[in-house]
Amino acid sequence: MPSALSLLYYVVHPQELRSIIQWKVWHNPVHERDESKECESLKRCFYFLTMTSRSFSTVILELHPELLVPVALFYLVLRGLDTVEDDMTIPLEKKEPILRNFDQILEKDGWTFTENGPNEKDRQLLVEFNVVVEEFKKIKPAYRAIIKDITKRMGNGMADYASNAEHNTNGVDSVADYELYCHHVAGLVGEGLTRLFVEGGLANAALLKRPELMESMGQFLQQVNIIRDIKEDFDDKRRFWPKAIWSKYVTNFEDLFKPENKELALSVSSEMILTALTRADDCLYYLAGIKEQSVFNFCAIPQSMAIATLDVCFQNHDIFKKNVKITKGEACELMIQSSQNLRLVCDVFRKYLRKIHHRNNPHDPNFLKISMVCGKTEQFIESIFPSQKPPIDVVKSPASAEEAAKTKAAAEEAKWDTYYMIAAVLLTITIITGSMLFIAWLAGARFDIAWTEFRGQIGQLLGSGSPSAAVPSIVKDASGHSEL
Amino acid sequence: MALQRVLVTGGTGFLGSEIVRALVSTKDYEVTAVDINPPSLGTGTFETVRYVRANILQPEELQRVFDEAKPAVVIHTVGVYQVGDARYGKKGREMVFEINVTGTKNVVEAAKECGAMALVFTSSVTVLLDEMDAEFLNADETWSTGRATTTYGQSKTAAENLVLAANTTDFATCSLRSASIFGPNDPACMPILHQCIERGETPFIIGTGTNLCDFVYVSNVADAHVLAVRNLLNSGTAAGEAFFITNGEPTTARDFCIGVWKEFGHVPSFQVRIPKALAWWLGWGAEWVSWATGAQGTLSRGIVWDATATRYVSIVKARRILGYQPRVGLPEALRITCRHFQKQIDGRSSKA
Repeated sequence: MPSALSLLYYVVHPQELRSIIQWKVWHNPVHERDESKECESLKRCFYFLTMTSRSFSTVILELHPELLVPVALFYLVLRGLDTVEDDMTIPLEKKEPILRNFDQILEKDGWTFTENGPNEKDRQLLVEFNVVVEEFKKIKPAYRAIIKDITKRMGNGMADYASNAEHNTNGVDSVADYELYCHHVAGLVGEGLTRLFVEGGLANAALLKRPELMESMGQFLQQVNIIRDIKEDFDDKRRFWPKAIWSKYVTNFEDLFKPENKELALSVSSEMILTALTRADDCLYYLAGIKEQSVFNFCAIPQSMAIATLDVCFQNHDIFKKNVKITKGEACELMIQSSQNLRLVCDVFRKYLRKIHHRNNPHDPNFLKISMVCGKTEQFIESIFPSQKPPIDVVKSPASAEEAAKTKAAAEEAKWDTYYMIAAVLLTITIITGSMLFIAWLAGARFDIAWTEFRGQIGQLLGSGSPSAAVPSIVKDASGHSEL
Repeated sequence: MALQRVLVTGGTGFLGSEIVRALVSTKDYEVTAVDINPPSLGTGTFETVRYVRANILQPEELQRVFDEAKPAVVIHTVGVYQVGDARYGKKGREMVFEINVTGTKNVVEAAKECGAMALVFTSSVTVLLDEMDAEFLNADETWSTGRATTTYGQSKTAAENLVLAANTTDFATCSLRSASIFGPNDPACMPILHQCIERGETPFIIGTGTNLCDFVYVSNVADAHVLAVRNLLNSGTAAGEAFFITNGEPTTARDFCIGVWKEFGHVPSFQVRIPKALAWWLGWGAEWVSWATGAQGTLSRGIVWDATATRYVSIVKARRILGYQPRVGLPEALRITCRHFQKQIDGRSSKA
C-alpha cells in the first residue's frame, strides 16, 4: 500500500504517475516464459530468481527463450557465490575452498549448503542449490563452459579478497585496485553475459574484440552501486571508495560522514562520479552491438537506471546519511524509454548528463573534468546519431548536386500528386452529393421549404428577429392555444 | 641520412615558435624560422635553428630567403586575426586579406619556386564555424566551407583554397584547421579572460551556458604540424586534405572560462544568467553606445553569438590520417598556461 507521502508526491508529479500506469498497463514483454513446459526444478529456479533479485528478475524473465534459462542460472550461480562470500559467520578456512571450487560444485549432483548464518537473506537458495545444479546440466555445453569459466575466475577473485586482511580492514587503496575489484564482481559478469549473447547469436561478435566495452558495462553499474551504497556499506564496515580518492580531501574515511566535512565529502563523491562517468560512452557503444530486442532491454535498462542514479547522487550530501534512490515513477519512465532503441537510451543519457552538468559546482576541484566528460559523451552521442547533415555543396560535388536536383524534381512531382488527389476527392464528393440531391428531388423532396426553414432557424439562432423567423413562433403559439 | 630542411613562416610567433620547438625536438629536421619580427625577449631560441627576418608581403625578399634555405617542406603559420568589435565588422578587412590571402599566395609561390616538396598551412576552424547564427555539432571535414561571415573566416577560407588548389604530385599541400589556440605567451585568449576578473564580469552567463566549443593547446597544434610534415614527406595520404585540429575535448565555453579563472584563484561568487535574446538587445544597444562614444564596449551582438553558439568539430580524420593525438589535456594545459601568465603579471608588477 503506498504511503500518504508517496501519494502526495505523485499528485505533484503526474508525469511520473503516468509512467507507472503506462508501464504497468501497456508494457508487453518481448518474450514470455512458458511455464507449462517447465519441470519442477526449473520452476523452483525461477522462484529463486524472483526471490533473490528485485531489479534483474524482470529483465531476465523477458529474455529470448534461447538465453532465458542460461542467464537465469548464471545469475543464480553468482548469487550463490555471493551469498557464501558475504556471510561473515562462515570461517575463512571453510569459505575459501567453496569460493575457489564453485565451478566444480556446479557439476556435483545434489550439492547443497546449509551452513549460512540464519540472517543471510538468500540462504534458502543454497539450501536448495541442487535444483540449480540439476538445471545447469541441461543447458548447452557451450553456455555451461562460459558460466563455469566466469564462476571460477570470480570465485578465485572473491577468495583473494576474503583472505586479504588488508582489504578487509582498510578497504580499497588505489583507483586501479578499485577498478580491479569492480572487474572481479561486475566486469567478469559483463564478459560472461557478452559471451552468452554472442554464442546465442543475439549480439554482434565484434563485441568480444573490444573487451573494454563489456568491461565498462559492468564497471559502470558496479561503480554506481558503490557510490550510492556508501552509507550502507560504511554501516556494514565495508569500504569500497578507494583511499587514493578520499585521502585527497580527508585524513580518515570516517570523516566523510561528519556534517562539518560536507563540502569535502561532496568533492570526494563528485570525483567518484567522475570516475564512473568516464565509462558512459563505452556503455552506449556496447549497446549498439546488441542485435535482439530482449537482450537490448536487458542491457539498457540497468544502464539507464545507473545514469539516473548518478544524477540523484551528484552533489547530494544525503548519500552520506541515507540510501538515496530514484523514484518508482522515474524508474518506470526509464524502463519504458530503455526498452525500445538505442536512440532513446542515448536521449536518456544526454538528459541526465545535462542535469549533472547543470549542477556542476565551480568550486569543485573536478569541475572542469566533469564538464569535459559530459561534453565527451555528448559528442559521442552526436557521432552515432548526428543531428545535423552537411549542406549539399553544388560547386564541389556535382554528384550530390545531381542528387539535389533529383530530390527537388521528386518533391515537385509529389506536390502535383497532392493537388490531383485533392481535386479527385472534391470531384467525387460533388458527384455523389449532386446525384443524391437529384434522387431526392426525383422522389419529391421540397428543397424550397427546407431552404426557408433553414434560413428561419439560422435567423433565430442569431436572434436577428427577421420576419421569417417570427412565423414559426406564431404557429407554435397557435398550436398551444388550440390545445387549451 | 641528411636532415630534412623545414622552413617555418611566422617562426617566432606564438604558434610558430612552438612548431619550431617541436620540430627541433624530433632531431629529424633542420629548421629555418622566418618572421617579420626577431624572437621576442623571454621566448627560447635554439642554436640549431636559423632565424631570418622577412616580410611575406615582399615577394622578392621572401623568394631570396626561401632560395637560400632550400626547404623540403614549408610550414606557413603567418596570419592575423581581429579581436573585439573588429572581428564582426568590416574594419581592417583589407589589411587582414592582404596578410592572410596575398601573404599565403606569396608563400605558396616562393615555396614552389625554391623547389620545396610540400607545404603545411595553418588554417582555422573558423573557415567553417564563423557562419553567423549557425550551429555546428560534431561537424567534420565533409562540410563544405565558403559560408563564413567574419573577415577572418573568409580570409582563411580564401587562403586555404589557394593552398589546397596548389596541391600537385610533386608539391603536396595540406591545411590544418586549428581551433582557438591557447598556451604560454598566448596573445589573445588568456589576456581577455584574465581581464574579465578585474572587470568583475565573471558572474554573468550569456545564454544557457551549455553550448559546447573547442579549444586547443598550442603544443598539440604544433604536434599536428610535425605529423603533417612527416605525412607529406612519406605516405602523402594527407596531400590536398584539410583537417580539424582541436583538443578533442569539447567543453562549454562557460566552463572553460571558469577553468581559467580558477587557475588564477578566482571563482565567481554568484552567477547571473542573461537570456540570449536579452543579451542580443543589450549588445545591440551597446554597439550604438560605442558607435556614439567611440569606445569599445564589452558586449556586442557578435560577442553574444560567439558566447552562445554551439560549435565543435570531430577530429577523427586527423587521428586516422595524421595519427594526431592531443597529448596535453585541457586541465594540464590550463595549469601550464595560467601559471606562465601569472608569472608574467607578477614579473611586470614587481618591476613597476
